[in-house]
Amino acid sequence: MEKEKIRELKSLIASRLTRPMRYYLDTCTRCGLCYDTCHAYYGIPKKEYSPVGRAEVVRRAVKKHFRPSGRLFPYWGDATALDERVMDEMKEAAFSCTGCRRCMMYCPFGIDMPYILGIAKVLLIGYGNAPEELVMLADAAVEKGKSIDEFKEGFLSVIGDMELEVQKRLGLPSADGLIPMEKKNADVLFVGLSGAHSIIHPAVIFNAAKENWTLSFFEAVNFGMFAGDPEKMQFIADRVVNEAKALGVKEVVIVECGTAYRIPKFLLGPLPFKVTSIVEKIHQYLAENRIRMKDGAIAEPLTYHDPCQLGRNAGVFDEPREILARLASDYREMSPTREYNWCCGGGGGLVALDNEEFRIKSGKAKKDQIDATGAKIVVSACENCILQLNTIKDGYGLDVEVRSLSELVAERLAV
Amino acid sequence: MWNDIYYFIMVPMVYIAFATFALGILFKFAVVAFSPGIKGKLGAYPRRLPRPLGVVKEAFAVPVAFRKSKVFWFFIVAYHLSFALLVIGHLELIDEFAALQVIPHQVFLGAGWVGIVLMVSTLYFLFRRFRYPYNAISVPEDYLILILLFFALFFGSHMNLASRHLDFMFDVSKMRDYLQSLIALRPVLPEDIVSSYHNIMLALHVLFANLFLMLFPFGKMVHSVFAFCTLNLKRK
Ligand code: SF4
Ligand code: SF4
Repeated sequence: MEKEKIRELKSLIASRLTRPMRYYLDTCTRCGLCYDTCHAYYGIPKKEYSPVGRAEVVRRAVKKHFRPSGRLFPYWGDATALDERVMDEMKEAAFSCTGCRRCMMYCPFGIDMPYILGIAKVLLIGYGNAPEELVMLADAAVEKGKSIDEFKEGFLSVIGDMELEVQKRLGLPSADGLIPMEKKNADVLFVGLSGAHSIIHPAVIFNAAKENWTLSFFEAVNFGMFAGDPEKMQFIADRVVNEAKALGVKEVVIVECGTAYRIPKFLLGPLPFKVTSIVEKIHQYLAENRIRMKDGAIAEPLTYHDPCQLGRNAGVFDEPREILARLASDYREMSPTREYNWCCGGGGGLVALDNEEFRIKSGKAKKDQIDATGAKIVVSACENCILQLNTIKDGYGLDVEVRSLSELVAERLAV
Repeated sequence: MWNDIYYFIMVPMVYIAFATFALGILFKFAVVAFSPGIKGKLGAYPRRLPRPLGVVKEAFAVPVAFRKSKVFWFFIVAYHLSFALLVIGHLELIDEFAALQVIPHQVFLGAGWVGIVLMVSTLYFLFRRFRYPYNAISVPEDYLILILLFFALFFGSHMNLASRHLDFMFDVSKMRDYLQSLIALRPVLPEDIVSSYHNIMLALHVLFANLFLMLFPFGKMVHSVFAFCTLNLKRK
């Protein structure tokens, strides 16, 4: 690699050397407690897929370029200079990690592996080797943010069709205003995804709960985060933040998408509105008796897959279980569960990449867990998880049905 | 020449080691202090205990390791507890501290067990690294630091045990003269130390301890401080 390029990449590393990053880079004792805690390693037992194995790729380069000990005695710390091979290793490490942070639960220091891999991701962008799919999707989202007026008309026309569907589901006389747009001072701004289902089911629930809500023009998913581009991540997230501020809403409710929820909830700093997941909102409506479920619970054995970003990374463990307790009579917990639940293997934007074979293999832990429950219905609350659970289902020929929580709730509403 | 080497290890090198250790740690802190913070939060859930308590529990009881491997957990706890006693023992080799004698004991405390537990744990950590998969993620400095530590412990422990069980008197007051003179920057090596039966053992102990101290700030040993920072982030 030319000197100029290395200098450029070094400045990218420097831009990511925040205080937490320095702690994470220095503290790991290579104790190996995290070694086999990654679902990718479970499916493909190679060092490259172990959490510490991934972090070491980054750590070795940082050591070589930023540490006197790495410069003077590279052998002792296995410090390695940036080159083509190292960049390939970085790609393998970063884009096979879903950012689930399961490994963090087994690290005695709570080291955040995806945070460390953030260095690998910015380097790959700088090197021009980041996955094209993610970069293009992030660019498209940025473009939409810059010229939203051009998108508005097309969007409003499809909303009409969705309103008709909501009207049908709720048996209402008119479809008008069932999916309100640009409503000032609404209590709730709901942010969905590009698929109609991600808007229709929540819209059914909001209307049943008589919520004073409005729908965002933007999708909640943040491909800037998946690609590992901090500026684009911020810009994409700011689209919704600015929209919420302009409308003066009290609360932003995020669709079933774990990362989309974690970003405004935890990563953007203080915001002038509350951030909630649709799962918490449904839970609240049920607790306040604003919505009711039909009589007669689902009798087939049913299990719940904790989306990593909603569970261990945001603490939403009880709400989905309490909702499901009202829906199903044969609820079966996965083992391990909650913060130790295995990642399905679809997060971190991995479902958007051309890597199905890898995802089937790395989904083996989840497949084994589902098998062990004997469940016939697998419920989750994240679009990425649903897509990946279906990949696992097809890949291993599982006899299960994969359902989203809000879909199930919307379907079983007593109206 | 041997006398010069002996003197070098026992006096100038001790200063060099402590200076490297202190400046290295200061440098580490300065780098961290001048690095930008972040606006978001990197915490994880659940949080069954409030932050300070939770951090203390995770740092000292290491429940995470307990879940994964009881044997490893046992050695982690045994090692760190003994290391704390080792530090107290060495402080008492410098001077009498009434506060450290709340439970009255003989100097060096632990009846020789502190060194033995530390040696066994260090050997466990070392040999564990030779096994798959831990060898795959270990780098030379991981072995080096454990080997240096083992030798420092081996020679230190040897003197302690010998003074307890053989007819050799390890003179605490002479050690205090020596260590206090180092602290006062007027170093003297008492003749009784130089000519004692264990002068070589002592020099080897000091040599390996010096090397260990000099490497401390530049490797993963900083986890002894940063662990509290990372565990705090986990609950923020
Ligand atoms: S965050 Fe998840 S995917 Fe990434 S290394 Fe850790 S366990 Fe594996
Ligand atoms: S568990 Fe933590 S300290 Fe141990 S190897 Fe993994 S990241 Fe490093």
